[in-house]
Amino acid sequence: MQGRIDRPLRNARLAGVLLLGLLLLTGCAATPRLAESTAQTLPRQAWVEDVPFHAQREYQCGPAALAMVLNHDGVDVPMETLIPQVFIPGREGSVQPEMLATVRRHGRIPFVLNDSFDTLLTEIAAGHPVIVLQNLSLPAWPMWHYAVAIGYDLDARELTLHSGEEAERIESFRRFDATWARSDRWAFVALKPGELPSGIGEQRALQAIAAFEQVQDADATLPAWSAFVERFPHSGMGYFALGNARHATGDREGAIEAFRSAVAQRDDLGVAWLNLGLTLQAQGDTGGARQALERAAALPGHWQAHATAALERLSSGD
Amino acid sequence: MKTLRRFLSPLLILALVLGSVSVSAAPLPTSELISTQAALSAERADADRERINEILSRAEVQEQLIAQGVDLAEVDARVAALSDEEAHQMAEQLEQLPAGAGVVGALLVVFIVLLVTDILGLTNVFPFTR
Repeated sequence: MQGRIDRPLRNARLAGVLLLGLLLLTGCAATPRLAESTAQTLPRQAWVEDVPFHAQREYQCGPAALAMVLNHDGVDVPMETLIPQVFIPGREGSVQPEMLATVRRHGRIPFVLNDSFDTLLTEIAAGHPVIVLQNLSLPAWPMWHYAVAIGYDLDARELTLHSGEEAERIESFRRFDATWARSDRWAFVALKPGELPSGIGEQRALQAIAAFEQVQDADATLPAWSAFVERFPHSGMGYFALGNARHATGDREGAIEAFRSAVAQRDDLGVAWLNLGLTLQAQGDTGGARQALERAAALPGHWQAHATAALERLSSGD
Repeated sequence: MKTLRRFLSPLLILALVLGSVSVSAAPLPTSELISTQAALSAERADADRERINEILSRAEVQEQLIAQGVDLAEVDARVAALSDEEAHQMAEQLEQLPAGAGVVGALLVVFIVLLVTDILGLTNVFPFTR
């Protein structure tokens, strides 16, 4: 008897708890709002032309998304090649660092975007397809998924994605943002060296290009450093990197010019003075080399010992 | 992984120490420029210890990927394409990193909850709810 009365009560309580939980969840999911400035400058609709669609096979949305973005940018690589390069059989999926690494292997620079809806739409409007990581399910039973955002409509408040087995799938801003927020709004674009995302931060761009150079070579990276110093003309480190890339491709004159710009922007950049001195020395300009190396040797830091040794070598007449 | 670390750490420390000694003791006649990557990592504190960690990380990532069934012929190139920071992240938390797959393995209860959240527009598991 007792049990019979209790059961509906217990069920009612459970239902209440579930309902409350769902209400709380709905409270969290709101339609994303754009910053006023973005809303005014962005076109009402945008669409990235010519993004081929590759339907994912089981678990392989990572390689599929990469193939779409790379093919769009003129890299002729089939999905079959990408699968062994990025898919992890034991995890039945692909992880973020390797998504970026694979882009580098194919000669494009991956730039992770900041976590804002504005940036996502801005990149689409700039003609760049964006790979996004979504958790389509709830945090407790995650269903991680890579998709490629290729278009939006501000009036209809809808995003268009190549996703899974569905080309040009339309998702409302609200539903998309709820699933995207669960990956901390992780997204990236894969660009040719020489192109930069419009809102990218200086450090983020610098690290992305340097990581690319480590995998590819100076020749391939040179246009990226040129574009970087154009975007960030006050970055001493940027000119320093440009100088190194020019030097590695045999352009000594250009390297010297870039190292001079580096120290003009940051007089305390010892490593730039050091490379300037070494390059001048190789050029036969002993006086200029001595000046630069003396400056480098006077600056405390990691490269001081290096600079002192180089100065000694110069004095001993090597 | 632990044994690998114990075995490799002293070797690497020795190699790096010897490496820097030989540079200062017998400088090469042709002076090499400092690379951008070296300059960037030196800007961070504890550059040397970090370098040791990064080399160890790559060895660990390699082991883990092989254990996870990645093709042996691909492992080297895959690890080489990671930035130092990414290699470190992979070594520390490969198990926790979200692996994008687009498939959910679920029970009936979960199915019902997800169905409701799908209808509410919070999730996007079932194509037919839109």
